[in-house]
Amino acid sequence: MRDRKYFFDLNDLQFKQIYLTWKQKALRLLLWFAASLAVAFLYITVFKNIFGSPKEKMMEQEIEKIKLQYSLLGRQLDNSIEVLGELKLSDDSRYRPILDMDSIPESIRNPGFGGVDRYRDLYGYVNSDLMILFRSRIDEIRNRTSVQTESFKSIEDKKGEWKREMEYLPYISPVNPIYRLGDGLKFREVHPVLGTSQWHHGQDFNTPYGTEVFATGAGKVIKAGWNSGGFGNYVVIDHGYGFQTTYGHLSSIKVSKGMNVIRGDMIGLSGSSGTSSGPHLHYQIDLYGQHKNPLYYFNNDLTEEEYFKMIQTLSSKLKFR
Amino acid sequence: MANTKYKFNQESLSFDKIRLGFRAVLLRFLAYFIGSLILAVIYGFIFAIFIDSPKEKALKREVAQLSLQYNLIHKEMENLEKVIDHLQETDDNLYRTIFEAEPVPTTLRQSGTGGVNRYKELEGFDNSSIVIGTVKKLDKIRKQVYVQSKSFDDLITLANEKEEMLRCIPAIMPISNKDLKRTASGFGLRIHPIYKIIKFHAGMDFTAPSGTDVYATGNGVINAVLSSRRGLGNHIILDHGFGYSSVYAHLDGFNVRKGQKVQRGDVIGFVGNTGMSVAPHLHYEIKLNGENVDPINYYFNDLTAEEYERMIEIASKTGQSFD
Repeated sequence: MRDRKYFFDLNDLQFKQIYLTWKQKALRLLLWFAASLAVAFLYITVFKNIFGSPKEKMMEQEIEKIKLQYSLLGRQLDNSIEVLGELKLSDDSRYRPILDMDSIPESIRNPGFGGVDRYRDLYGYVNSDLMILFRSRIDEIRNRTSVQTESFKSIEDKKGEWKREMEYLPYISPVNPIYRLGDGLKFREVHPVLGTSQWHHGQDFNTPYGTEVFATGAGKVIKAGWNSGGFGNYVVIDHGYGFQTTYGHLSSIKVSKGMNVIRGDMIGLSGSSGTSSGPHLHYQIDLYGQHKNPLYYFNNDLTEEEYFKMIQTLSSKLKFR
Repeated sequence: MANTKYKFNQESLSFDKIRLGFRAVLLRFLAYFIGSLILAVIYGFIFAIFIDSPKEKALKREVAQLSLQYNLIHKEMENLEKVIDHLQETDDNLYRTIFEAEPVPTTLRQSGTGGVNRYKELEGFDNSSIVIGTVKKLDKIRKQVYVQSKSFDDLITLANEKEEMLRCIPAIMPISNKDLKRTASGFGLRIHPIYKIIKFHAGMDFTAPSGTDVYATGNGVINAVLSSRRGLGNHIILDHGFGYSSVYAHLDGFNVRKGQKVQRGDVIGFVGNTGMSVAPHLHYEIKLNGENVDPINYYFNDLTAEEYERMIEIASKTGQSFD
């Protein structure tokens, strides 16, 4: 009321109150609104250009924070890659050579995942490179880890086999090394008893009656008794891996057929039974039925004292089994 | 002016033209300005709540993807670290059972040597920069002392005109062993892999696959090239003069003949598993006037002081030998 406005109508020369139609009012409001929007937009643009939007700032800070976490994670990744490198060295330089295994080629340890683009979902970001780098590194670590796990598994298996083989193969002298070696694996012009010429398939040890004879490797006694072919009282041990050892001309047998023995077990006493001209031990190694020179299977590098210490050590292991 | 507006003055009962003074105009302008600002803030808020600017959208997406990837990788890394820890234990166990010795902690598992940051343990304390500086300086001095002592050594040997001897006596490792991982068993009392008793091991064992090159460790003349299926297996005896000779055993093959002159670093044979040996390896002995000496003291061309210490640590653990 107070603010009623008038205008002077030049047509009928009188003052008339200004009335606005509903339409005009709406139009005016709209205009005002549009203007305010435009002005607001102007303000916001200016503000953003000068200060940046708070939301953006917050997010940029967040990104920085995440990047920091990434770099911390990066250290973990570095560390893992280094540890895996060390493990690979152990694997390649230690275990595989000892166990006579070929080393794993680098192409299997880290197959560069060429061809298919595995990281397509990471394209189009400001930090795409960072994410792709980390993803590829974790992929590498995952791959190296699984290869290493597999590798250690096979090494573990092979190691068991290797240790078992070391226990089973006939790798020691069957008697105290002070006893001189008699005839070895050779063609004998004259057999000491038969007088004929024939092959001597083993190694003789000049042992007196009653000398302890020990199993030269772990295995199963497959023969223990009298051999009419000339070995007299004899013992045959099957060591597996194609190896059999024969101990002939014994005076007494301390094991029976079917028994499992380990290296260092006393299997009998030497004597002169069978076709023998005097007390001695006949020791024979066969590999898949072929006679092998027993001298290639043990070293004469022990003193008497060391030999018996070894026998004691080996057989004391039995008690803990 | 059609748009001239009038106000009805009740007092004078006449229509007055509406005129705005300067102050009124200013006031009005200010009011409009403030109003528009308030509106702008309100609009801005509404806009921000419901609609993101493209940049914000991109940032949001970025944050979401970054943290998603981070979480994925982090989680996976934690799992993998457990597996890797387990692998390290397996490694130690394999070492224990194959070499019958306690494993030497690797450079990674021990702090101080070889790692990326040798002075890490000193970080994070007050004055740590001074401490680090001092330690670095000390390290530098230590290195200089080492270099200096070496050069003194050189001087002395030169003075004694012993270059020839220096060229001849063994001074490198018989196989390439940069990371020292091939060091298997040292000189001294060792568990024999078959006899299971402690026996004197007259040389050093190196693990290496069959066929690996074996180097002459000093100049000399090949004294003997022996093929054998017993004991040392195929082995080479190299006479260096000055009372020194070296033995390379369990070889797979030879690359030299008896009487041949060789120089340090020449390939003389190849690693194998011949003779009494339970695994492919090189058995290396040095004899001085016929007596076996510890080869570990004859790698001085190959090893830095640090590596030498590490080598001693590895080799001195009483483990098993391989022959």
